[in-house]
Amino acid sequence: MIVTRIELVDYRNYVTAAFDLTPGITAVVGRNGQGKTNFAEALGYLSTLDSFRGAPAEALIRAGADAAVIRATVRHDDGRELSIEAELSRSGRNRVLVNRQKLPRTRDLLGVVRVSVFSPDDLALVKEGPSERRRFLDDTLVALALKYDAMRLELDRVVKQRNTLLKQAAGRLDEASETTLDVWDAKYAELGDRFGQARAVLIARLGPIVQEAYEHLAGVVTPVELRYEPVWRTLGLAAALAAARHDDVRRGVSTVGPHRDDVELVINGMPARTHASQGEQRTLALSLRLGAHRFVTEHTGSAPVLILDDVLSELDDGRATALLHHLPPGQVVLTSASALPPAARPDAVVRIEAGASAAEGSGTGPWQGPVGDTVTGDG
Amino acid sequence: MAAYTTPVQVLIDELGRLPGIGPKSAQRIAFHLLKVPADDVARLAHALTEAKAKVRFCARCWNIADDELCPICADERRDPTTVCVVEEARDIVAIERTGEFRGRYHVLLGAMSPLEGIGPEQLKVKELFARIEPEGITEVILCTNPNTEGEVTAMYLARMLQPFGVRITRIASGLPVGGDLEYADELTLGRALEGRRDLSA
Repeated sequence: MIVTRIELVDYRNYVTAAFDLTPGITAVVGRNGQGKTNFAEALGYLSTLDSFRGAPAEALIRAGADAAVIRATVRHDDGRELSIEAELSRSGRNRVLVNRQKLPRTRDLLGVVRVSVFSPDDLALVKEGPSERRRFLDDTLVALALKYDAMRLELDRVVKQRNTLLKQAAGRLDEASETTLDVWDAKYAELGDRFGQARAVLIARLGPIVQEAYEHLAGVVTPVELRYEPVWRTLGLAAALAAARHDDVRRGVSTVGPHRDDVELVINGMPARTHASQGEQRTLALSLRLGAHRFVTEHTGSAPVLILDDVLSELDDGRATALLHHLPPGQVVLTSASALPPAARPDAVVRIEAGASAAEGSGTGPWQGPVGDTVTGDG
Repeated sequence: MAAYTTPVQVLIDELGRLPGIGPKSAQRIAFHLLKVPADDVARLAHALTEAKAKVRFCARCWNIADDELCPICADERRDPTTVCVVEEARDIVAIERTGEFRGRYHVLLGAMSPLEGIGPEQLKVKELFARIEPEGITEVILCTNPNTEGEVTAMYLARMLQPFGVRITRIASGLPVGGDLEYADELTLGRALEGRRDLSA
């Protein structure tokens, strides 16, 4: 699947802009603060209905405008073309149209446009807390099969309900609330065991792919491990919840279950979070994204659009070159504020200036990479 | 923000509190009401107060009724041994339209949801248990919604009904009749596969 055209209206710093993308590598260049990441974010939004920067929906609407519109033309591998339009409104009433037909729910768009985003923020995958890694795992599951989106939402809801119940109990349960809690536990156990199993299977399959990606980037053989071994899974969630009940009631919050899971990242036998260098951490974060992208491509039989948002500048020359040499097949959009390394051979260049795309690639900006077919925008 | 004279704004605000009515619709309805003859408005106002004053809950099943019992509970021909448990009275209307069910109902007036402060005590659960023996109920069909809260409510009732020794069933979930497989969402289709029926016999 590839995206052939993107139009933005009142999105972030864009008033109106249009970009044509090539099936190969499109380089999006321009100085800092011109809107390169905003462009990448808009593309990512169509795939997850969420900003990869974690920004709330209002932040995506240009100041002073009531609604932002992202339009895209998508071509599937079988040649089928779809036009997609997503409108984000300040009132929270978002609409999504596919081929001018309004989708019943905006979430029905998931799976139509598939995008993998690599960004400098990915470092958080290695450095920050477990929630970042859970999100990574779960986003990957959703990219593999949409049923995981509904499952994840239901799981969140059950945990929220259970926590509210525990809070209401205020430290002690009478017999009636005990039975009510039993039922929520049963529901949580049923969903949680299935979701935990899905995460475990994903981690097992992802491990070797991430290892390989890491070696390609780093150029040396380095043992990398992903460990997903939550204690509750050895007991089964029902038993784990029963064992933790006393504690849960006392603390008024759910202390065990998939909502607290973590994936331990290990390099050379040591936890990457505390023992790896900054460079190793960046490489590992990138390897996780690359691994997930490859796995999703293999599993679904079609490559998502790969966005490298300002990633090259974060890597040393060797790793940047290695990344470019090992780019998986499929459409790639890479943004950069500085000169592209020689290994980047874009098929097209889009230059962005103050929320508009410019027609040529020569300008006075700092970008000095090779120019392929130059792309015209009509911003 | 308040661009209208107070009575109009009050009307818009009140209408906007109704379910499914957003600010725009509330405004449209308010202006419609201001335009139509006073008689029409009076008739609507009367219908509202009348309905509120006369309609009450069925003493047996908590359906909406205009008498002690709702028309279904009052109907002698209905099978008293089978009771269908639903969340809201409007669910009864949906099931009645099928013409498939000849038993009685029990309306819970909601589903368990701690987030909304609803536990079994807030629902007509005790009232259900109290009906089992006197009415000679032998089967309880749990027809709560197939969402998280509805499922949990059904699980709770199934547990609590165990000691009564009645048959407890849960309404099946699956594909809409007359629909196409390809348009079914994955969750529904998955459920439908789980609940498949054997045709080999």
